Amino acid sequence: MDLTFYGEETKGLISVDPRTKVLIFITSSLVCVSSFSDLGIALYSVVLCILFALCGKPMTALKAGIALGVVLFVRAVMGSSQGAPELIVMILTLVTTSFMFAFPPIMSVLLIIKTTRISHFLSAFQAMHIPVKAIVPAAVFFRFLPTVTDEWNGIRKAMAFRGISLSPVQVITHPWRTIEYVLIPMLFSSISVMEELAAATMARGMDVDVRRSSYEKVKLRAADYLLIVLFIALFALSVIVGEMVKNGAFL
Amino acid sequence: MAKKEIVNTSTNNDRKMRIKDLIFAGAFGAIYIVVMLIVVMVTGMVPVLYLMNPLFVGIVCATIYELCVLKVHKFGAALILGILFAVTASSGYLPGMFLAIGIAVLAEVVLLIGKYKSKKFFLISYLVFNLNMVCPFTNLYFNKSSFIAMATEYYGEKYANGVAALATGWMPFAQMGLAVLGAGIGVLIASKLIRKHFEKAGIV
Repeated sequence: MDLTFYGEETKGLISVDPRTKVLIFITSSLVCVSSFSDLGIALYSVVLCILFALCGKPMTALKAGIALGVVLFVRAVMGSSQGAPELIVMILTLVTTSFMFAFPPIMSVLLIIKTTRISHFLSAFQAMHIPVKAIVPAAVFFRFLPTVTDEWNGIRKAMAFRGISLSPVQVITHPWRTIEYVLIPMLFSSISVMEELAAATMARGMDVDVRRSSYEKVKLRAADYLLIVLFIALFALSVIVGEMVKNGAFL
Repeated sequence: MAKKEIVNTSTNNDRKMRIKDLIFAGAFGAIYIVVMLIVVMVTGMVPVLYLMNPLFVGIVCATIYELCVLKVHKFGAALILGILFAVTASSGYLPGMFLAIGIAVLAEVVLLIGKYKSKKFFLISYLVFNLNMVCPFTNLYFNKSSFIAMATEYYGEKYANGVAALATGWMPFAQMGLAVLGAGIGVLIASKLIRKHFEKAGIV
């Protein structure tokens, strides 16, 4: 997964407002806990992939879509085949289920990270008169998720280079050592990134209690309203389908 | 820890959250969530371990929390961390989310009692803060039938029955106990690691 720290949307066919993306994130995390069916989540995920492609990241959308298709196929095969070895079925169920469950929230977070510039994010929420103290932690939170995964990959490579493995056996036999070896470098390098980030924002005068002007044009366009309605409808649909499955409509 | 009180003269008089502190809180929130998710994902495969997660997360994440509140040491760091946790980890069930935010406020109150100086209170506040690991499970206790239906649909009957058999009346209290225990072990590790690495480097 190649995560860039700064999102860009120049190649996108449509430009979606950050507020719409955050709403999509909220409905996505609600969908996976309130829908009880593969069908609802699959439909939701496909629409999410299409939106991803339209926002200028067709390759990511394609990869995610293919992975989703493979998982759905495996689940369909498992559902129809009887007498397969139980252990394999159990492991596959766990893996595919975790994938299905995590797909909508992860894709919507990626959508925010990959296609939104931080300045756009800040100015959009400032236009809603949300105080800076609430926006900045949220913006930094989204900005920092790829950093943490990046640091994690770096630490894993560095540990492998020094001959310290992160295999389950090692983790179980030396839990304290593992915590120290992974956490300390991660925190150290993250803290230096934070300090640089803080210095950069200070230099941009974010610390002054004056309303900031911005070059960003912030406006909800027709596409945004359409997406808001579409995703709320999809959420409602997947909940209704889920209720029907729960009450045994399809059994 | 070696030093009883934190003497950081440059920011000690400044009680207001600056942009710098907000950035620290948001970034530590991201680290906390990622590490927590890794722990939950690894242990979530087995029902028993899944329900014991407050213990594991407490042990692993204590260092991150302590570093966050020690770095900022102003009103708001624990609160922001708690809200980010509540929104990302337990947003599926609204009462659970508000409970998580309430717990973050309590942790902040513990810090306030220690006047953001006493290291003892910094450590104790995590014992309170880690109770929020019970909140994602509130769905299971107050809304059991729907949770079990979901687990059956996703993971199959075996897993669902395993979770259902374990989620009896005393389970929330057991989880709260595990959360405090995990946090206790966690802060011991945290104070050791912070003394060994971060105080030497002059970070806190």
